[in-house]
Amino acid sequence: MTTWEGLLFGLGFALQPEVLVYCLLGVVLGTFVGVLPGIGAMAAISLLLPITYYITPEAALIMLAGVYYGAQYGGAVASILLRLPGTPQSAVTTLDGYPMARDGRAGVALFTAMVTSFAGSVFGIVVLVMLAGWLSRAAVAFGSADYAAMMILGLVAASTIGTSRPAKGFAMVALGLLLGCVGTDVNSGVQRFTFGQTELLDGINLVALAMGLFGVAEVIANVRDPDRQKVTERLGLRSLMPMWDDLRRMFWPTLRGSALGSFFGALPGTGSTLSSFLSYSMERRIARQPERFGKGAIEGVAGPEAANNAAAITAFAPTLTLGIPGDPIMALMLGALVIHGVQPGPMMLEARPEMFWGLVASFGIGNLLLLILNLPLIGIWVAMLRIPFHLMYPAILVFICLGVLSVRGLTFDVVAVAGIGLAGYLLTLAKFSPALLLLGFVLGPLIETNLRRAFLISRGDPMVFLERPIAAGFVMAICALLVLSLWQAWRRRADDSA
Amino acid sequence: MQRDWPDLLGGLTMAAIGAAAAGWALAHYDLGTLRQMGPGFFPTLLGVTLVGLGLIVALPALRRAGAAPKLELGVVLAVLGAILIFGFGLRPLGLAGATALSVLVATIPALKPGWRWRIALSVAVSVMTVVVFSFGLQMTLPVWPRLP
Repeated sequence: MTTWEGLLFGLGFALQPEVLVYCLLGVVLGTFVGVLPGIGAMAAISLLLPITYYITPEAALIMLAGVYYGAQYGGAVASILLRLPGTPQSAVTTLDGYPMARDGRAGVALFTAMVTSFAGSVFGIVVLVMLAGWLSRAAVAFGSADYAAMMILGLVAASTIGTSRPAKGFAMVALGLLLGCVGTDVNSGVQRFTFGQTELLDGINLVALAMGLFGVAEVIANVRDPDRQKVTERLGLRSLMPMWDDLRRMFWPTLRGSALGSFFGALPGTGSTLSSFLSYSMERRIARQPERFGKGAIEGVAGPEAANNAAAITAFAPTLTLGIPGDPIMALMLGALVIHGVQPGPMMLEARPEMFWGLVASFGIGNLLLLILNLPLIGIWVAMLRIPFHLMYPAILVFICLGVLSVRGLTFDVVAVAGIGLAGYLLTLAKFSPALLLLGFVLGPLIETNLRRAFLISRGDPMVFLERPIAAGFVMAICALLVLSLWQAWRRRADDSA
Repeated sequence: MQRDWPDLLGGLTMAAIGAAAAGWALAHYDLGTLRQMGPGFFPTLLGVTLVGLGLIVALPALRRAGAAPKLELGVVLAVLGAILIFGFGLRPLGLAGATALSVLVATIPALKPGWRWRIALSVAVSVMTVVVFSFGLQMTLPVWPRLP
């Protein structure tokens, strides 16, 4: 199938009324949770996982993906109006978006965020299509050792990049990998860490884990958050209109942000949050008047918003063509597919074209819907910020319980959600990242299987990781990341004592 | 003496979990060889790694001041209580009863005073769940409390 045939085929699939409804549902819900500070895409996707049992895997993926990129649009709203990031990816947008709002240019800032998000997504879609074809051809040469090395690289990158405490990240990944071992071992049939509980034979339930870590823990953390500030902005369509000068200033940052985001989104372990931060610092560095940044520079909104949306799209390339999720959200997407018995990999473009091309087409449709709907409806989203949290969270808790019960109907899973929620809350309090735990959990069985196979083929010779060029490349990247983070830790210590 | 308690306790907990997992795996599952890894190999390796990482996090925290985060014990108890009430209450109390009671318990730690909105919310959410999940999505759940 050529690219054009694929796109046409995908459009035909994604425009079916039933699929279109799930796409619309996903993007609207995504915008909603993105707008609300404290509830992110992770929580929303976790909450929706049970629903995906009842629909086709293609529709499920399209809906969950819609939540993810929809949240990127919504995240900017609270960042600009309240200086509260609606999602981690839009945290940088507060730096210049909020000062713009204080200057009475909230409408222009929101317009910029929406339009550059759209531009970033379109750029990301083009890169995704090119990358996916190339990756699935390259993946034919991948052996078990290469897969294992690449997944370990993803884990190392996710725990070291953009954090000051890599040891805590590694600990979370290791704990996640261990939790992934629970259940019946595929190779030997031995039941590991089940302690006689038949409920654990299939392993820890992904839905219970995700809902506990992201749903329950986020509710606990937000219940007594001091009352949110009141939004006083009145936003009509007219206030959204940018001036010619604004458009001129947006253009290059948007393009640079899109390119940067597309690149980092596709790499394992570096996601859209990192892309938006990198784009901001790049724009400030190359600006002619860097002193304008932080005081309402439109470039500081345009670049990062384009970058995080582009990254959200290209992140699907390794997930779908190699079956390797690069970040925790992709891990949840992969988990949702595995629940349906779909194992993404190099053959997916050929074997399930409606999955890949349907998703690509839905990206285009969904982003267009977001652009068309969000600009006129911006007033509604702003009004959402006025709903008090104490009216929402009890209902969220009940939905979490019903969602978990709908999967297997076991009270055991509800108890597990409570326990995992407590653990997730304590981890967040102590600044350990539950997202990295989930990434380890999903990748655990894949890494173990590929490691075992690699060593079986090489007759127990670890040199296999250095003799194969692909694996050796990943191993070198892992070593480089480790050396870099050790060096940074050493430099920080030197700074502290000086 | 000032200590970084979150890192200290967190690190030690990780180390303890790692040690327990590695110990359990060594005692119960076959380790195998590097060439033919048994079911115990990967968990043992991870457990030992986790012990090391936990200690790396915990030991420097002994001699360092850190911010003590505020543990919202009341919120934790109410939220977990609400979930457990729903889980165990669903069969005896029915969907309507379990939802109402669970919402009521969940609202206890909310900052807004007064009891009228709590009762109104619990009734509203019960009606909504019954309509959506029982009538709408046709989930087979008991709706009303079971009579003795």
